[in-house]
Amino acid sequence: MEGLFFNVNGGYVEGIVRGYRNTLLTGQNYGNLTQCETIDDVKLQLSPAYGDFLASLPPNPSTSSLANKTTDKLVAEFRYLQGQSTGTLLKFMEYLTYGYMIDNVALLITGTLHERDTRELLERCHPLGWFETMPVLCVATNIEELYNSVLIETPLAPYFKGSLSHQDLDELNIEIIRNTLYKNYLEDFYKFTTEHPELKGTPTAEVMAETLEFEADRRAINITLNSFGTELSKQDRKKLYPDFGRLYPEGTLMLSRADDMEGVALAVSGVHDYKQYFDTVGMNGGMSGSGPGNMSGGGGSDGKSLEDMFYQKEMEISKMAFTRQFTHAVIYAWVKLREQEIRNITWISECIAQNQKDRIGNYISVF
Amino acid sequence: MSGAGDREPVFPTRQSLGAMKSKLKGAETGHSLLKRKSEALTKRFREITRRIDEAKRKMGRVMQIAAFSLAEVTYAVGGDIGYQIQESAKQARFRVRTKQENVSGVFLPQFESYTKDENNDFGLTGLGKGGQQVQRCRETYARAVETLVELASLQTAFVILDEVIKVVNRRVNAIEHVIIPRTENTISYINSELDELDREEFYRLKKVKNNKQRDNNAAEEERKNSKRRGSDKENDQEPVDVLGEQEDQDVIF
Repeated sequence: MEGLFFNVNGGYVEGIVRGYRNTLLTGQNYGNLTQCETIDDVKLQLSPAYGDFLASLPPNPSTSSLANKTTDKLVAEFRYLQGQSTGTLLKFMEYLTYGYMIDNVALLITGTLHERDTRELLERCHPLGWFETMPVLCVATNIEELYNSVLIETPLAPYFKGSLSHQDLDELNIEIIRNTLYKNYLEDFYKFTTEHPELKGTPTAEVMAETLEFEADRRAINITLNSFGTELSKQDRKKLYPDFGRLYPEGTLMLSRADDMEGVALAVSGVHDYKQYFDTVGMNGGMSGSGPGNMSGGGGSDGKSLEDMFYQKEMEISKMAFTRQFTHAVIYAWVKLREQEIRNITWISECIAQNQKDRIGNYISVF
Repeated sequence: MSGAGDREPVFPTRQSLGAMKSKLKGAETGHSLLKRKSEALTKRFREITRRIDEAKRKMGRVMQIAAFSLAEVTYAVGGDIGYQIQESAKQARFRVRTKQENVSGVFLPQFESYTKDENNDFGLTGLGKGGQQVQRCRETYARAVETLVELASLQTAFVILDEVIKVVNRRVNAIEHVIIPRTENTISYINSELDELDREEFYRLKKVKNNKQRDNNAAEEERKNSKRRGSDKENDQEPVDVLGEQEDQDVIF
């Protein structure tokens, strides 16, 4: 049934996204990129995919400007799609931007906390996370004002409400605030895709549930691993885990009690995929002596790190999303794939710029 | 050689000769001491140069690794975290203290780095993703800064030693090529002057002696003459009749 009327509103956008998907770099392209000797070569190789956007770059651009330009393209395409979308799709795309908004808001809060001129920060914000009232955030000079009159006006207000007070903004570490917001956002997004009357039972709900569950699990695991050795208490840590996902509730409970790598491995052992990752990493980690979650080359081993494997998994899920039709999830998947592509390009050009070719193959390509 | 070349404005007296001699001796001792100091410093200098070379090479490697680990962070976090890090860092974790090292009387500052482990201001950065890379990157950069600190103390020592070696060498050369020759000149000048004086004195004495002798001789002659004359006179007059009351003038032989 859901396929019957989907194309009335979403057909054009879906078609466009599928077109965009086809312009993503393939393994062949990456192979060519890794052969490049200079950034200029990289630029040349990228010109079929990114032509207009890279044209304005000076010869031998820095990797960051390259990344900025590629991001610009993503943003431009995303804005176009946003302009074409209506109804639940529009809402869906708004949800997509919330993740970036959280980053931007966290950035601005940091600036306000340290009494910096927040106007300078606006240009550092991620363009996808831009919302109309964001410049207003700069008006606030103290944290209470920011909370009471400005944050309330942002689309993120529901995520602040109930979990963070303005005292928290002052006292808590900005990272905890960011992750609390992100947890609330993920839960809300999950609820939206699975329970919204127009999306419930559609392929969107199915695909997005899988994607978001994975995202939630990944965050939970990462937060746990990264909090070892910091002042983050277990109670606080538990509050940062999203309340859904394949690990929820037993796995997250165990995660909240984990003290070390083994504890985490035990906690995730209920889910086959994650267990497999940990087994692989555990072997590599044991040999190279580097901690969990590191980039594979960090300890000098060739094996993939946990973070790499999560990225890989995310990309595969995103790729699989394109096998479904009549779903908004392809947009999410496309954005994620595109982001990974930008990261890959940055990584490859960084390797070339710094002459560290031995780890240039560390990118993740799924096509 | 007296008077030729540079010499000190002294009166050629025996006292100043003594002073000059002790000065020469002092200059020679000072020269050998300074020479030894300069050698010690040069040795140290060479060692530092070598270590600077090593440290610079090491710095190149370490900075490269550090820059690469930053690239890793960018990859893992997927964005710019510089601002967050800047803002959340409140206290220096990596600190530097200085101490002094004495190399043959030259004080070289030495920087020593140490970390305050309790400062962990951005320990939570990248909590959601990439936290491990951020920490790793921090460690790599801490190592890079360590190398920089090491290099900084070497470079400072290098500059200071360079300066000091120049000064010492200048002194050594000054003593060797100016003070010692001048003092020697002065000494030989004084000596020659004194000799001159001696000769003059000697000549004068000789002259005086000659004169005296001549005078004496003349006097002798005179005396002899007068004596002879006296004896003639005596012959003429001697048998003075004391009793006669010199009235008998008419007695002639």
